[in-house]
Amino acid sequence: MTGAELALCLLGAFCLGLMPGWLAGGRRLPQRPAFLPASRRDESITRDVGLEEMLGFLPDCAVLLARNGSLRFANAEALAVFGDALGTIIRHPDVFAALQRLDAETVLATADIVLDVPVRRVVRLVFRLVPEALSQAGVPVLAILSDRSEKEAVERVRADFVAYASHELRTPLAALIGFIETLRGPAADDPAAQKQFLEIMATQAGRMQRLIEQLLALSRVEMTEHRRPRDEVDAAQVVARVRDESAPLCSARGIVLETEAHPVAFQGDEDQIVQVLLNLVENATKYAVTGKRVPVVSLVTSEGVVGGKDGVSFTVTDNGPGIEAQHLPRLTERFYRVEGGQGATAPGYGLGLAIVRHIVDRHDGRLFIDSVVGEGTRITVWLPVRGERRQARERPSLLLG
Amino acid sequence: MTEATHTVKSYEQELERLRGMMARMGGLVERQTAQAVKAVVDGDEEAAIEAPDLDPEVDELEREAEALAIRILALRSPMAIDLREIVAALKITGDLERIGDYAASIARRALKLDMDGGISLIGLRSMGRLVQDNLRRAIDALATRDRDLAVAVWQSDTAVDELYTAMFRELMTYMMEDPRNIGSCIHLLFVAKNLERIGDHTTNIAERIYYAVTGEMLPAVRPRGGLGPQQTPPAIPDAR
Repeated sequence: MTGAELALCLLGAFCLGLMPGWLAGGRRLPQRPAFLPASRRDESITRDVGLEEMLGFLPDCAVLLARNGSLRFANAEALAVFGDALGTIIRHPDVFAALQRLDAETVLATADIVLDVPVRRVVRLVFRLVPEALSQAGVPVLAILSDRSEKEAVERVRADFVAYASHELRTPLAALIGFIETLRGPAADDPAAQKQFLEIMATQAGRMQRLIEQLLALSRVEMTEHRRPRDEVDAAQVVARVRDESAPLCSARGIVLETEAHPVAFQGDEDQIVQVLLNLVENATKYAVTGKRVPVVSLVTSEGVVGGKDGVSFTVTDNGPGIEAQHLPRLTERFYRVEGGQGATAPGYGLGLAIVRHIVDRHDGRLFIDSVVGEGTRITVWLPVRGERRQARERPSLLLG
Repeated sequence: MTEATHTVKSYEQELERLRGMMARMGGLVERQTAQAVKAVVDGDEEAAIEAPDLDPEVDELEREAEALAIRILALRSPMAIDLREIVAALKITGDLERIGDYAASIARRALKLDMDGGISLIGLRSMGRLVQDNLRRAIDALATRDRDLAVAVWQSDTAVDELYTAMFRELMTYMMEDPRNIGSCIHLLFVAKNLERIGDHTTNIAERIYYAVTGEMLPAVRPRGGLGPQQTPPAIPDAR
């Protein structure tokens, strides 16, 4: 049952006198939301208390509007979901136009609006003229709001995925087709060349497969981004898992991962945090082996306060060649690759850090990247111990140390 | 019902109507600004047509609000906060109308823009977002008579000024690089200038809200950005 239907049922029940009498003569709601105008004459509102209390029970976003579009009441759910964007939604010209359409015959209207600020939102509003018996005092319209932003985000992610996949796969695919043509034609009777080409083709196909896996991982992370993780995770256990899971990679590159961990519990998604650290460790080993010294990579946890909140930091350090300052702000952009050839021994796709950033954002954490050319790179992921409900789904900015 | 309460009630209704008109104007110019920015940075033609189309409605509302405000002044002789609110309303509707004009002018320019010179619009996009967000908060402050929010808006226009100065330099570079960019860049320069003007009117609105609520004026000199490092922002008066 949708919110609108539920509200209408409640209204119907009320009209038929099925609701207990105490609701009709109920008391005022204890608190007026801050953004509602503190009108000096409130009697017009107090008479609707029964209706307001009923709307307070709704698990959906409901607001009451005056005929001229001014906001008279918003239930707790509406305040929690839309917060300070509520004012700008109600002022939207399409909302006013919908209100104008309502009259004795037309009791229902809808409006779909898109907001750019404070965050991108797609909102659908369903308006219902409240029967006169319930509203004597110029608050005749009930509106049920639903946030469609998530649905739109999913569609955008899907479109992005197709765009990126087709763009990034085109080059290796063209190479494969070229080799296949060569194998069929000029190299049809040359076993040595065939062996060599098949080798290259296998590498290219493997690359394409890994790319698709990473793109899928990125899409999954993006789609869960608006849901806060709720599990309790232990930092020491995360580090132990990362050490075990990265062991094959490290030994293949001749590196021992040095770890130091404290048992700190925080709210998060364990698999995702392990994924973040694995990505960082993989990058670090890749850079460390291209340096001129004996490669050293370490993963250390510590406790730290950022923005007044207690948190836990995971720091991955390598002693590779370092990254020039000009690249640092752009590292987490998808498909951003640092040019310069030193990383060319193990080329990536520029997706690892993009995945890291999305996961860190989901945890309301911060990512700090420090690098000195010739010294090495240090990347710190800070996560709050207990995440609070985010007021706005704004992306925490990437801070550079 | 006695005569006295009736009089007070209809007075309150008139004030309420005036507030409703301002909120509607606010919603309209917010929409105009949003569509204008979209028209330029996304090349959205529909948005470019919608923004100027809303202009007559805004103008009409301004006239209505003015007539109503004068009527209230003449018939009710309001005092103290009521008087301030009505005087502020007269000026705020003027500011809103100007913002609508600037937005319409930006949208009309968007139709003439020919964007294939590889000119980056990232700066303009963030400037547009910032201006929109300030406008939104100013109109929120108007609806809720929120003094602190008004002060916050008044102060945050510095960022818009900074971005405008940066845009100016950036566009100049494009023009020096290749004379074929000059046409587009001049249009974009006006777009940036108009956005900056919208930001200024937004701060005016914030000043008037502050005055209506507290009865005091904010300092005549607003903190400004984009002028250089040597400047000390004027102190914010401690209201009450």
